Amino acid sequence: MLTKRKRISNWILVAVLIVLSLFFLFPVIWMLANSFKTDAQITADMNSAAAFIPPALTGSFLDNYISILTNTSFLRYMLNTLFYAAVLIVLGVIVNGLAGYALAKIKFPFRERWLLIIMLLMIVPMETIITIHFLFVAKLGLLNTVIGYILPMIVNPFNIFLFRQVFISLPDDIYEAAQLDYCSPVKYFFTMVLPMSKSVVATVSVFTFLNVWNDYLWPSLVFTSSDLLTAQIGLNAITSNENTTMGQTLAVITLITIPVIIIYSFFSKQIVEGVVSTGSKEG
Amino acid sequence: MSFIELKHIGKKYANSDKNAVTDFNLEINEKEFIAFVGPSGCGKSTTLRMIAGFEEITEGELYIDGVKMNEVAPRDRGISMVFQNYALYPHMTVEKNISYGLKNMKVPKDVIKKKVDWVIDILGLEEYRYRKPKNLSGGQRQRVALGRAIVKDQKVFLMDEPLSNLDAKLRVSMRNEISKLHRSLGSTTIYVTHDQVEAMTMADRIVIMKDGVIQQISKPMDLYEHPQNKFVAGFIGSPQMNFYDVTVNGEEMTFADGSKMTLPKATAEKLSEHKGELILGIRGEDIKFDSQNIDVYKQNSQQAVIENTEIMGNENNLYFQFGGALTVARVSKYEVCQIGDRVEFVFMPHKMHFFDRETEQAI
Repeated sequence: MLTKRKRISNWILVAVLIVLSLFFLFPVIWMLANSFKTDAQITADMNSAAAFIPPALTGSFLDNYISILTNTSFLRYMLNTLFYAAVLIVLGVIVNGLAGYALAKIKFPFRERWLLIIMLLMIVPMETIITIHFLFVAKLGLLNTVIGYILPMIVNPFNIFLFRQVFISLPDDIYEAAQLDYCSPVKYFFTMVLPMSKSVVATVSVFTFLNVWNDYLWPSLVFTSSDLLTAQIGLNAITSNENTTMGQTLAVITLITIPVIIIYSFFSKQIVEGVVSTGSKEG
Repeated sequence: MSFIELKHIGKKYANSDKNAVTDFNLEINEKEFIAFVGPSGCGKSTTLRMIAGFEEITEGELYIDGVKMNEVAPRDRGISMVFQNYALYPHMTVEKNISYGLKNMKVPKDVIKKKVDWVIDILGLEEYRYRKPKNLSGGQRQRVALGRAIVKDQKVFLMDEPLSNLDAKLRVSMRNEISKLHRSLGSTTIYVTHDQVEAMTMADRIVIMKDGVIQQISKPMDLYEHPQNKFVAGFIGSPQMNFYDVTVNGEEMTFADGSKMTLPKATAEKLSEHKGELILGIRGEDIKFDSQNIDVYKQNSQQAVIENTEIMGNENNLYFQFGGALTVARVSKYEVCQIGDRVEFVFMPHKMHFFDRETEQAI
């Protein structure tokens, strides 16, 4: 049984959390509410509580969204980004997972040094190596291609480290048992290691998705053709167009936020588990 | 010809000066149940892992069914193994755990089903067929591990302390199940344990190891009755054999505390070559307190004061000081003593074991 004092302190805590949540949610609610309005309505509601309330459900309720999805290529950009994310998740899990597995379980010369180098790479900001990536991709003649965009993004030192930290705790006797069950090392990785490490696979997949979804700099350097652009570049293009209304801008921002919110709400447990199990956090 | 041959097998780790296993020689017959037993770090698991192929053999040769196996991959050695921590695949059901190896061997589906059904049936796992290992008890997991080993029809079973994670009661019943399985399948089994009771009750022959060296290879009762050195004598049997530093002069044997006993002529003759300082060993059950034995061996009867007693239910252990050492005697449950009682006892002369004090080898 909770004491009266403890109950009161719990209530205070809940109240503080609600206030804090509202504080952080205000911009999101404002964005969502105004994404359904015309510019005139937004201006009219600006200085009142109505700024946080969506308009009535009339025939023009979804006009901003319809206009964005039909008159611009934003839907295409979103699908492009989803495709890149899916490819990078699969390749990233395989490549970084294999590297992490090697660092965790396979004995080879200078293994610890390799790990140290990979850990050092984690503190190098992406912006410093992006020029090298660009020159590399340009030399290969892969600018403005999907491969050119994806190739430098597959290997991620943080994900390698994340995998290594989880794989190191996998019991060796399972590998030995699998060997006696005629399981090859490659098959072992795919049928044993990855299924036994679901939470880190989920974490790496989520981080990869968010990386791809939120990245602006790298796709803006690689892509010139509008067919290949990503959602973030599309967002910039649409919002900087002087013909785009405020309501449409907010609709685009809402659209681009939805996948992130979905991912966080579905995978928050895995993200926390994955990060906790490695004793580290990104960034 | 023996089925498994270990010839001068040795293991030296790169980062160590000492051998983990030294000059291990053993011939195992087909269908034999061999137990490797010894204290932690004696090299028994290392030897088993060398047979399995998980540890490189740094010296000597290993033959299974006449084929040299030193460089052969574990999967091609024709072995199955049960691991100490079961090593079940956590994301697979009982059925999938058992059938996984067969699937990889590309065995036809209908044969796999038949074999898995048979294993599940003989191990009583039907109820748990679709459960994952985390939803099974220790005993059930152990049975799945056994099932996974037997389903592949391999010629050799290796078991690395398979019962050490189970509670005492379950250990006894699993011990029984493993023995029954061994008899019905007729496979050659090598069983590693630190528990002498498991080794004594299950094995056809026992290999006792210490510091990577074989101390004795014998049948269980031979090991108990005729230990080849002091280590084996002390390791096998519970409570441990009592040891005394004694001086033998002719038929007279003097203990460290000055107590004396007269040895039978035959024993004295046998010891005459080793005249002098020896170690006497006698098991607790060979110290007798009954009037009949005391009458027969009256000239050697001794007295002591009971320091402690352990009531085991079916028998009692009596502790007292004698011959300069704490002595434990095992008596029947009807021979009740109280702490502080002065008791008279005799050592059964034909049950005495003598060891050289320097080499600790049996005489």
